[in-house]
Amino acid sequence: MAVQHTLRRVGTGSNLRRALRSRNAMAGGAIVAVMVFLAIFGPWLAPMDFQQTNLLSSWAAPSDAHLLGADRLGRDVLSRLLVGARVSLIIALTVVVLALAIGVLIGMLAGYLGGRVDSWLMRTVDFGLAFPEVVIAIVVASIIGPGLATVIVALTFAWWPGTARLGRSLVLMVRGEMYIDSAIVSGVRVPVIFWRHLLPSIAPALIVRASVGIGYVIMGEATLSFLGLGVQEPMPSWGGMIRDGLPVLRTDPHLAVFASATLALAVIGFNMLGDGLRDLLDPKLKAAA
Amino acid sequence: MSRFVLLRLAGMLPVLFITLVVTFLAIRALPGDPVIVMLGERAADEETAALLRAQYGLDQPLIVQFFDYVVGVFTGDFGLSYRYIGEPVSELIAEGLRISPLLAVAGMVLALPVGAVAGTLAANRRGSNLDFIIMLVMVIGLSVPSFALAVMLMYLLSVQLDVLPVAGWGSFSQAVLPVMVLAIPGAAYTARMTRTLMLEVLQNDFMRTARAKGLSRAVVIWRHGFPNTLVPQFTSAGVMFGALISNAFVVEIVFNIPGLGRLAIDSVFARDYPVTMAVVLLFMALYLLINLLVDVAYAAVDPRIRDQMAGR
Repeated sequence: MAVQHTLRRVGTGSNLRRALRSRNAMAGGAIVAVMVFLAIFGPWLAPMDFQQTNLLSSWAAPSDAHLLGADRLGRDVLSRLLVGARVSLIIALTVVVLALAIGVLIGMLAGYLGGRVDSWLMRTVDFGLAFPEVVIAIVVASIIGPGLATVIVALTFAWWPGTARLGRSLVLMVRGEMYIDSAIVSGVRVPVIFWRHLLPSIAPALIVRASVGIGYVIMGEATLSFLGLGVQEPMPSWGGMIRDGLPVLRTDPHLAVFASATLALAVIGFNMLGDGLRDLLDPKLKAAA
Repeated sequence: MSRFVLLRLAGMLPVLFITLVVTFLAIRALPGDPVIVMLGERAADEETAALLRAQYGLDQPLIVQFFDYVVGVFTGDFGLSYRYIGEPVSELIAEGLRISPLLAVAGMVLALPVGAVAGTLAANRRGSNLDFIIMLVMVIGLSVPSFALAVMLMYLLSVQLDVLPVAGWGSFSQAVLPVMVLAIPGAAYTARMTRTLMLEVLQNDFMRTARAKGLSRAVVIWRHGFPNTLVPQFTSAGVMFGALISNAFVVEIVFNIPGLGRLAIDSVFARDYPVTMAVVLLFMALYLLINLLVDVAYAAVDPRIRDQMAGR
C-alpha cells in the first residue's frame, strides 16, 4: 500500500524532480562513457609512455610538452592519468564481480534454505559488516604486504556482506512463486533451481546494485592506494598520484590537483549514473530503501 | 534496559575476540623471525637474540604467548614494539589515543546539525533552487573521496588564499581543515537522510493540522516536523561513524596529524606488527562501542526495539 502510494507520487508529481534525476543519470552516464572509453583506448591516446622517466622535466609545470605537467620522475601526468583510469576500472570490476559471486551465492543459500543455515550465514554476514574497509585493508596488508592483491581481497571482503543481504532478500521475494514450487516438486536438483530458476529472476536487481557499487569501489581503491596499501609503482593509480603530489602541493600543485579532480569526477559520474539507474529501473528498491 | 545493554556488550565480545585471534595467528604465521629483523646486522649475536626473545616472550609456546596477550589487552598492555625495541606499544599509541577520538567526535558534532538543517531546508523547499544546490553539494560530499576533497580544499584555502595552515597539528587553525574534511561526508549523508525523512513527515495529517491552526511555517517545520526525523537518524549515526573511521586514517595522513590512523599505516610499512594489532583492536572496539551507544539510544526512545533486540 505504502509502496504503491509512493510510486504514484513519484510517477505523477514533481516533473522537475524527475527531470533533474534523469539529467543526473544522463550526466553521470556521459562521464562514465568517457571514462570507459579512456580506460580502453587510453594507452593509445596517451601522448607519452606512462613509465618513461626524464629527470630534466621533474615537476615540470603544464605546458605544450606535458599538457598536465610531469611528476617527480618527470613522467607525463596526462599519460599516467589515462592509464590510471584502466587500472582503477579493472580493479573495480574485479571486486564487484567477486563480491557479487560470493555474496549472492551465500545470500541465495541463506534465503532458499532458511532455518538454521539462514541464521548462521546471516550471523556471518553481520560479522563481516562490522569491519570498516580500511581496517580490513590494514590487516590484509600486514599479512600479504601492500599491493594489487591486498586491494582486491580487502575490498571484496568489505563488499560481499552487502551483496549477500541483497541476494537473500531478493530470493525471499521469489521463493514463494509457483514456478519455484513446481521446479521443486518435479524433482529439479537444488543447483539447477539456483542457476536456472532463481538467478535469472533476481539478476536485474543485482546488476543495478552492482552498478551503484562501482563508484564506491573506485573510491575505496583510490583510498587504499593513497594510503600506500594498494596499487604500487610503476603502475599508476589516481590515489597513488595524489599521494606523490601532496608533499609539493605548495610549489608544484598540478599533480595532486589534477589527479584529485579526475578521481572526484569519475566517482561522481558513477554515483550519479548508479542512482539514476536505480530510480529508473527499480522503483521498488527505492521505495523500500 | 540494563539487560539490553549487557546483552549487547556481550555480543561485542565475539567480534573483538575473533579479530584478536585472527590477527594474532596471521601475524605469528608470517615467515621471518622478528628478533632477527630487529637486530639486523647484530643477529648473529646469539646471546642478545636470546635476551630479546625472552623480553618479547617469543621463547614461550604459542598458546602461552596468546594467553599473555589476551590478559595484557584487558589491562591496557599491548606488548612491546618491534620497531622501537623495548618500547611498550601502549606508550606509542597514547598520543594518538588523545588525538583520533577527538577528531572523530569533532567531525560528528559538526556534521549532524549542519546535515540536519540542510536536509530539512531542502525538503521544505522541495524542487526549489535551494533544494537543487543542497542536493548537488550532497552528491559531491558523498562522492568525492575525502583525501581528494582535502587536497582541493588545502590547495584553495592554504596555498591560493593562504588563510589556513597547510598541515600539522597543535593549534586551532590547524584543526579547522581536517575537521571540515571529516565532517563533509557525514553532513551530506545526514542531509540526504533528513530530506527523505522530512518529505515523508510533511505528508502527515498532523502537519496540515498544525498549519491549519495558524502556526507559522517555521514553527510547523522545526517544532512539529523535525523531531519526527530524529529517531531514524540514530541508526545513520552508526553508519556514519564507520565511514568516519576510514576517513580519519586518510585525514591524518593528508594533514600530517600524529593520530592512531597514521600510526597504524606507518606500522604496516615498518612491519611493527604489535602496533598494527593494537590499533586495529582499538578501532574495532571504538567502532563497536559507538554502534552499541547508537542502539542503546535507539532502544531508549523505542521500547519495541528494546524488546526485539533483547530477544523477547
